[in-house]
Amino acid sequence: QEVDMQAQADGIRTVFSDPTNFNVKHPLYSPWTLWFDSPQTKGRNMPQTPISAFPQTPGAMPPTPGVAAAQGWMEDIKRVISFDSVEEFWGLYNNIVPPSQLPQKANYYLFKEGIIPAWEDEANKNGGKWSIQLPKDKNRAHVDKMWLYTMLAAIGETFDPSLTMADPSGSPPNSLITGVIVSTRPQFYRLSIWTRLAPSSNEEDKLRERIEGVGKHFKMSVLGFSEGQKLAGPLATEVEFLSHKDSEKKGGKARKIIV
Amino acid sequence: SSTNKPGVPAPLPSALATARIIDDLSRVPYPENIQSPKVELNINAKDGKFRYDRDFLLQFMSICKEKPDMLPPLDAIGIGPVDQSSMTRTT
Repeated sequence: QEVDMQAQADGIRTVFSDPTNFNVKHPLYSPWTLWFDSPQTKGRNMPQTPISAFPQTPGAMPPTPGVAAAQGWMEDIKRVISFDSVEEFWGLYNNIVPPSQLPQKANYYLFKEGIIPAWEDEANKNGGKWSIQLPKDKNRAHVDKMWLYTMLAAIGETFDPSLTMADPSGSPPNSLITGVIVSTRPQFYRLSIWTRLAPSSNEEDKLRERIEGVGKHFKMSVLGFSEGQKLAGPLATEVEFLSHKDSEKKGGKARKIIV
Repeated sequence: SSTNKPGVPAPLPSALATARIIDDLSRVPYPENIQSPKVELNINAKDGKFRYDRDFLLQFMSICKEKPDMLPPLDAIGIGPVDQSSMTRTT
C-alpha cells in the first residue's frame, strides 16, 4: 500500500509543474460567488440576480418578508461567476476589472455560494460587518492590493483564527465569514468583511473575542496597518464593527467595536 | 458549453475541468522554488476543506491567467473600465 500511495503521489502534477496539463487543483474551504452592481447594471436582465438565484420550488416556503423587501435593489445585483478552487480564482482575478478602474457607486460582493449578499439572508441576519472607509484620492494606488488581500484572506479562510483550534474529531468548524465587499463612491472606497454572528450583549465574551480577532487580522495582516494606528480622518474611518441589527438603528444608538 | 468553437484549443480550461481535487495536501509535490501551504493552517483539515496563506496563494497569480469559460462579457453586466479622462481633475 505504501508503494501504491507513493506511485500515486508521483503522478500528481500541479499548475506549478505543468501549467497546461496539470491534473490536480487546490480546493477552497468553501465555494464562492462573485456579484456586482453599479448604476450601469440597473435594468439589465442578464445574467442571474440574487432573486433568481433564490430557490423558488413550487410549494416551498415563500421568501421571508425581509428578503422580499430587499428585492428592489437585489434585482440590480448581477451574479458574475462561482468558483471553488485556487486555480479558478486566479483565472477570474486576471480577467476582471480591479476596484480602482470601476465606475463610481459600484460594488463587488464576494460571498460563499448560497449566501445572498444582503443582511436578510439566513447566514447574515444575526451577523454584522467589519468595515473601513478610505479617502479615494490617497488610496487609488492601494485599493486594488487591499481588495486582493481581502479576497485572499476570505477564500484562504484565514480571517477566523479559531478555525485552527477546532476539535479534530468533529466536523469542520463553521467559519464566521460569509462574504467580503468593496465599494467605490465618489469620494471614498469602503471594504467590508461580513460575519455570520455578532456579539449582542457584553456577556458574549468568547464571540466578541473571536470577532475582534477577525478585525485585527483585517487591519494588520490584510490592510497592513499597525495595531494602535489611528485611521479616522476626513472621509476615513477606523476599522470598525457593527452588527446588522445595530446598523438599522438610526440616531447614534449603535455600539461599534473598534480595533 | 454550446459556445465552444470546434477546433479552437483551450488547454487550461480543459485541464481545470478534468483536474482532480487535492484531498491530501501533504502528498502534493511542489517544485523547489514554490513555497508549500502553511502546515499549521491545516492541522485538523479534512474533506478537502483547506486553508491557504496569502504567500502561497500569490504564487498562482502569474500562472493561472486563462479567462474562465463561464465568465460573462463584462460590459453586459456594466463592469467596464471607467473612462480614464473622467478621473483626471482639470483644476
